[in-house]
Amino acid sequence: MKTNLSRRDFLKFFFFGSAATAGAVFLKQSGVQATEHGHNSVQAQATPFPMQEHGGGLVPGTVGEVDHENNGFDPTKILTDFDYGEVSTLPNGQTLREYKITVLNKDIEIVPGIIFPAWTYNGRIPGPTLRATEADRIRIHVSNGSNHPHSLHFHGFHAAEMDGVPGSGPGGAIAPGESFTYEFDAEPFGLHLYHCHVFPLARHIAKGLYGAFIVDPKQGRPPVDREMIMVMSGFDVDFDDANDFYAVNAIPFHYQNHPIQIKIGEKIRIYLVNILEFDLINSFHLHANFFHYYPTGTSLTPSEFTDTIIQGQAQRGILEFSYKHRGMFMFHAHVTEFAELGWNGMFEVTE
Amino acid sequence: MNTTQPPRFSIRTFGLLLLPVILLGGVIALFLRTGGGLDLESPVPIETLTIERTILKEDLIEIRVQNTSMQEITLAQAIVNSAVWPIEVTPSATIPRLGRAVVRINYPWSYGEAYAVTLFTSNAVAFNLEIPVAFETPQPNSASFWSFALIGLYVGVIPVFLGIFWFPALRTLGRRWIVFLMAVTAGLLIFLGLDTIVEAFEQAANVPGSFQGIGIIGIGAIATFLALEAISKRQLESGGDEAAKRLSVAFRIAIGIGIHNLGEGLAIGAAYNIGEISFGTFLVIGFIIQNITEGLGIIAPVLRDRPSLRSLALMGIVGGAPAILGAWIGGFAPSPTLAVLFLAIGTGAIFQVVFEIAKLIQKDTAKESMPAIIFSGALAGMALLWVTGLLIK
Repeated sequence: MKTNLSRRDFLKFFFFGSAATAGAVFLKQSGVQATEHGHNSVQAQATPFPMQEHGGGLVPGTVGEVDHENNGFDPTKILTDFDYGEVSTLPNGQTLREYKITVLNKDIEIVPGIIFPAWTYNGRIPGPTLRATEADRIRIHVSNGSNHPHSLHFHGFHAAEMDGVPGSGPGGAIAPGESFTYEFDAEPFGLHLYHCHVFPLARHIAKGLYGAFIVDPKQGRPPVDREMIMVMSGFDVDFDDANDFYAVNAIPFHYQNHPIQIKIGEKIRIYLVNILEFDLINSFHLHANFFHYYPTGTSLTPSEFTDTIIQGQAQRGILEFSYKHRGMFMFHAHVTEFAELGWNGMFEVTE
Repeated sequence: MNTTQPPRFSIRTFGLLLLPVILLGGVIALFLRTGGGLDLESPVPIETLTIERTILKEDLIEIRVQNTSMQEITLAQAIVNSAVWPIEVTPSATIPRLGRAVVRINYPWSYGEAYAVTLFTSNAVAFNLEIPVAFETPQPNSASFWSFALIGLYVGVIPVFLGIFWFPALRTLGRRWIVFLMAVTAGLLIFLGLDTIVEAFEQAANVPGSFQGIGIIGIGAIATFLALEAISKRQLESGGDEAAKRLSVAFRIAIGIGIHNLGEGLAIGAAYNIGEISFGTFLVIGFIIQNITEGLGIIAPVLRDRPSLRSLALMGIVGGAPAILGAWIGGFAPSPTLAVLFLAIGTGAIFQVVFEIAKLIQKDTAKESMPAIIFSGALAGMALLWVTGLLIK
């Protein structure tokens, strides 16, 4: 707020001048008064932040709960929702996996009370987590039910006409009402992603057109107790090309309000993808623990044993860890601004 | 055609008067039903929210808002310095048109730091608010009332009275000097009047659109000017001696300056509230030097008369004390709309008094014209405020 004081400009310098004594008295007294009345008069509308119950103080968070049913997806379910496609065998013996994706405009309640006019794959953000095994034949039947041209651009090996970039053929930009089938072999193994590549690219991604693409190695990864997918992104709700909210799996603070339940000693594997638009980097930090990190998941040997990693846009990696102690443990972007704007979650570790 | 006798007011005349109004109602109804063939649906509702006041208490940011858009709006979320914080909106997060609400954010702010708050409506329209310096907002209590009164005393009452204290010395002056002093007063008032109206325009920028700040300036200034003009005419018609008339002019100068000082008080209170006031004793001195001229202006018309002590005291109070009232309003219940109204009234009052003084000077110079004295006086008056302004800008 700006006030214009014109001839009164000097006032901003003066106040305490000759009135210093009175001013000092007055500051002191109003301060005392506020401590007396200020504290009890206002009831904090608490987010269900678990730490708050244990005598925690004031914490960032949203009020209320988004309408998951109306949104058509729930981040808690997305966490472990892997789409293996419809499986069949080709005459040459190769496994064929077929996926169906529809591009839809959808109003999504990003934070309670704020509706974001999103563009989605299958009506959800992130889009379905497509999962295949190395060397499988992949067919993704895409139909565009929205009013803009869109595409699917996969990270991985494929032919130029399957690249989903405008100019690369009919799959480069699928017109509204049209369909296209992307087809290629799933390789290399690792954790990848797909997103719309129609221009303006930043807008098409920021509106919600992205998802994870997991290619398991032929021999598989060492078994773990639980696998989860986490896609990090942000939302620019007022369209000023800067994110207003950040999240894993689309809904800010979701896993803060609904901690992920795990057991002591349970082996956890997280497929972590960063598709955050507008900001240069994103990160993941795990509290009271360390994890083995497999960048891009293209090796079965971890590159690092750490508790914090950084990812630029479209970077991704696999995290493996288990907890030794019971309790509430945060995980969040160690770009703390993002954490306080929604990219914050909790693991609740029990016996 | 009978030109001497106007037609009698009849039922028929009444009907004819009403006819366009009835037709207007019909046109509006038709437009509302059909949209007039225009597609007026906006893809996103245009929302405006006026942030009226921010109050800081311990671990609490309280924001008073008014919905100044064409439709109701719903406040959904708030971000404070790049962090989402839970909000509580009373009476309701859904605010009707021109309705008010209080947004409370339990936030551990620190003394002296700056904060940026963004309020999001359910349509993801963002409203930004800056708290340049955070500190406990003074609450109305006896101590703060007294301290604001003290500020008003220093900036308003004391300088005006100091100016009035020149009275005994100045009344020994001759006619030419009195004319000179009246010209000085006119110059002072023109300078103050310009300052007041510019301030009014600046404040008008903070007035919610639907309240039309510029319109308020026009109404306030012109209405005040004409009302004072009417009062002065009535006094003229009712007779009375010249001395009484001059005293009346002096009182009106006091009123004009008083309202100007009220505006000054409003600005002080508001500036204090947002932490724009810092230390600086020498500036008070600058202030007293500048505002002492206001007292001089008040007494100029009555220098040749013998106004009672009571009148002089009353003029000092009328001219200076509104600064105290202004500081209270600005400090405890600031309202840009009210500020614009006061400043507009001040503008109207000041220019009417300038007009009045011009008439007095004209009367005094009827026998002997003194253009050089009037020129140098008016210029000296304006230059006086300009130069003393240099001290405090």
